[in-house]
Amino acid sequence: MSMTESDFTSARPRLDTVPAGDPRDRGGKAQPLLIVENLAKHFPIKNGLFGRKRGAVRAVDDVSFVILKGETLGVVGESGCGKSTLARLLMRLMPLTDGHLVFDGDPVEALRGLSLKEFRRNVQMVFQDSSSSLNPRMPIIDSVAFGPRAHKVKRSAARRAAAALLEKVGLSPAMFGGRYPHELSGGQKQRVNIARALALEPRLLILDEAVSALDKSVAAQVLNLLRYLKRHLNLTYVFISHDLGVVQYLSDRILVMYLGQVVEIGPAADVYSAPKHPYTQALLASQLSMDPGRRIEQAPVSGDPPSPANPPSGCRFHTRCPFSEAVCAAKAPAFGDAMDAAIHLARCHLTDPTSGHSLAGSALSSLRITAPETSAA
Amino acid sequence: MTGTATAIPSVTGNAMSRPLVEIENLEVSFVTRDATVRAVNGLSLRIMPGEVLCLIGESGSGKSVTMRALMRLLPKGKTRFGGRVRVGDRDILSLRERELKSVRGAEIAMVFQEPMTSLDPVYTVGDQIAETVMRHEGCGKTQAMERALELLKLVRVPLPEQRLRAYPHELSGGLRQRIMIATALSCRPKLLLADEPTTALDATVQIQVLILLRKLQAEFGMSVIFVTHDLGVAAQIADKVAVMYAGQIVEYGAADDVLLRPSHPYTLGLLASTVHGQKRDKDIEGIGGSPPDLRALPPGCSFAPRCRYARTACTAAMPPAATFDGVTVRCYHAREIRENANAARATTVN
Repeated sequence: MSMTESDFTSARPRLDTVPAGDPRDRGGKAQPLLIVENLAKHFPIKNGLFGRKRGAVRAVDDVSFVILKGETLGVVGESGCGKSTLARLLMRLMPLTDGHLVFDGDPVEALRGLSLKEFRRNVQMVFQDSSSSLNPRMPIIDSVAFGPRAHKVKRSAARRAAAALLEKVGLSPAMFGGRYPHELSGGQKQRVNIARALALEPRLLILDEAVSALDKSVAAQVLNLLRYLKRHLNLTYVFISHDLGVVQYLSDRILVMYLGQVVEIGPAADVYSAPKHPYTQALLASQLSMDPGRRIEQAPVSGDPPSPANPPSGCRFHTRCPFSEAVCAAKAPAFGDAMDAAIHLARCHLTDPTSGHSLAGSALSSLRITAPETSAA
Repeated sequence: MTGTATAIPSVTGNAMSRPLVEIENLEVSFVTRDATVRAVNGLSLRIMPGEVLCLIGESGSGKSVTMRALMRLLPKGKTRFGGRVRVGDRDILSLRERELKSVRGAEIAMVFQEPMTSLDPVYTVGDQIAETVMRHEGCGKTQAMERALELLKLVRVPLPEQRLRAYPHELSGGLRQRIMIATALSCRPKLLLADEPTTALDATVQIQVLILLRKLQAEFGMSVIFVTHDLGVAAQIADKVAVMYAGQIVEYGAADDVLLRPSHPYTLGLLASTVHGQKRDKDIEGIGGSPPDLRALPPGCSFAPRCRYARTACTAAMPPAATFDGVTVRCYHAREIRENANAARATTVN
């Protein structure tokens, strides 16, 4: 299934209509677009004269989940929790230590499966730093046309498609096409990056902190653009961010990471209204209100996240968790079947009545971490 | 303490009612071969002793430059200043380099955004705190180290005795920022400048540092100027809020006035474009366009090209700062916006 010029121009969904069924869809609506199974990435820590391996940073450790067709999966977590490594693994930008990916029924890089090149045509990524992800010596229209050119599309057709894409992301090709990245503002550069990611007509777009470096007013414009493009191009998003407000606004489902593991996954409304994992609760309680009358008086949890090179035993959150007991340090909590997208799961002994934690099975609301606020004046 | 040349004679009145910081018509521009970048354009501001002021605005609005001007931490020779800056009894812009050295770190201290780049990687944190203490208080190393230990306890660093001997790379981001705060507080400054000190921190750590800063501010009774682009952070810590746009303060007032009842179209837009629980099926109401080029500012109100209220008067001359209901706003339509908002609020209540 190599890409020809004709399917590049004809299969493109029209902008003004929502495509009813995507011609590229193979397994139907119920089949996940991407199945991620037991994904792991360990970075070796080397030292000494001969670079002997001393240990490993388990940046992503046994992560399994599914991405449904047409959804936005929000990934949240603090720095160092493995969000960005996960994004790079999903695109296969680095070799996996373990695990495998299944894209719309086809195993990736397996016998009779999808080739890596074909997979990457379907999965594209927008990075956080809008300037370092563009070639400074290339006019932006050529940057956008670069992907199709690499996939053997004729120069004239690739440039035509690139011009149409620039138009779609709100940059006039006549005015901006010939400009170099340094002539654009941060928001404009991020629009170019989005256009470039869309140039191969991917079905899955991974957005790694795509609006985090932008000013609020510009980020709002880019978010609106992303919503618009998703509707009109039948896209599926993985939206990675540390900004809980933005993730809530965009996402259908939420995946929460802590020290390389998925600690909670579930439908966005459930995770935000009734978080099950104490870490998710703490993260939500740390969100700052915009009302000066509602100040947080006491931090929901103390301390910093531990180093991923040496994660705590058992439950990785037990060193900061107010509900921590001996069992939390001794035994890693079980995680349910993450292949079922409808279930709200948490990797915590509290949610498992058989775990041996004295509070296990108690009502969630009684165990919720909150941040005491000043009463409204 | 100070030479007569640096004292501003015009200021009278007792110390309590007198602002600690007075900025009058401050202008800062950077001169290069190709262009002059006008970063701050006629900014006036007063800060009372013990007051926390948040400067909010987007990148390039002049927040950090204003703050650095208070310590004159800007490249010599390339920076042109205009106006006056008084901190305590000193006229900062006319101080000599030697006098500045005794002010920096002692009377005015600063905490930067990136704790890793502002700490020296080859010295222990204890040495770095002690260095500041020895420099300004003229005491010996042993005494200075004792003071450093006290300071680490003050900023609630766990296991302070061990951390005193730690190098910056051995500490987490939150701890490093606590060390920076300890260093800044080492000489009990009257004015603390904090330039996005929590932006690089994770959410669960950010709130810890904000609460700490608030406690220390009250304990020390110092004034704080806090630069941030995060309105939530401003709501957490500020007594007063000043919103900056293109090198000017466009709205200034008490935190709840500005953040809950904004009067300037830019503040309104900033609040609307911050995502916090908006309906998922609706677009976010942002601000169209992008901030102006500081090399060639538009005539009149700098926000006019992006403003939905803009009329011809707006592009003719910069609106003067007008004060009403306790807020100071630079906008011809501010009164109208405020009255409309009040009317809308009244109807929703009834």
